[in-house]
Amino acid sequence: MIKVLLFGAAADRAGTRETEIQVDDGVTLAELWPLLAERHPGLAPMRHTLAFAVNGEYARGDAGVSSGDEVAVLPPVSGG
Amino acid sequence: MFAIVDEPLDVGAMIGGAQRPDCGAIATFVGTTRIDEAEGASVEYLEYEAYRPMADRKLEEIGAEIEERWDVGHVCIVHRLGRVDPGEASVAIVVAAPRRGAAFEASRYAIERIKQVVPIWKREVWSDGYVWVGSQVGTRDKASH
Repeated sequence: MIKVLLFGAAADRAGTRETEIQVDDGVTLAELWPLLAERHPGLAPMRHTLAFAVNGEYARGDAGVSSGDEVAVLPPVSGG
Repeated sequence: MFAIVDEPLDVGAMIGGAQRPDCGAIATFVGTTRIDEAEGASVEYLEYEAYRPMADRKLEEIGAEIEERWDVGHVCIVHRLGRVDPGEASVAIVVAAPRRGAAFEASRYAIERIKQVVPIWKREVWSDGYVWVGSQVGTRDKASH
């Protein structure tokens, strides 16, 4: 099970701040995305704007994720 | 010192904490809530959220980047979360350095890096709806497309 955290506009569009997804070990972030977008269709149009983090560090689409990992869906940051 | 807090920022205390005998300059940047107006509506307040502890760690990384690039004696960055009303501070950066050039440059660098890499988001709450800054997602007619 992978814990997925959503923030800002992504949480808004998904209608939730946290969800869990069952995946096979070794799946990549890019492969995880369609499962997430299917469950939360409001996210789909945001794909090109989003960054991702795995266990608290920015990660690219080819990064692998495994059960127990925490994936964060990060819209463009706007602190300051 | 790097911190993410829920209460108003005490910029005076941050400046006091930066005063050192080996530094001849303290540069301070304070980001505050501005009331924007458009089409007869206006911003009422901002609301911030963060992905923690990643955001805390990114602030510390910015501090480390500054110490690699400039001769500084003290770097303090504090970002506020939650509702921030007009005129109130959402972020404060205080850099003390032996000379003013480094203090000015490092404080500018800190705010630009915060806006690039620290997972913090703000929502503008307008009189007619809200919008997530940077995503243009929200309930205002202009924003939700």
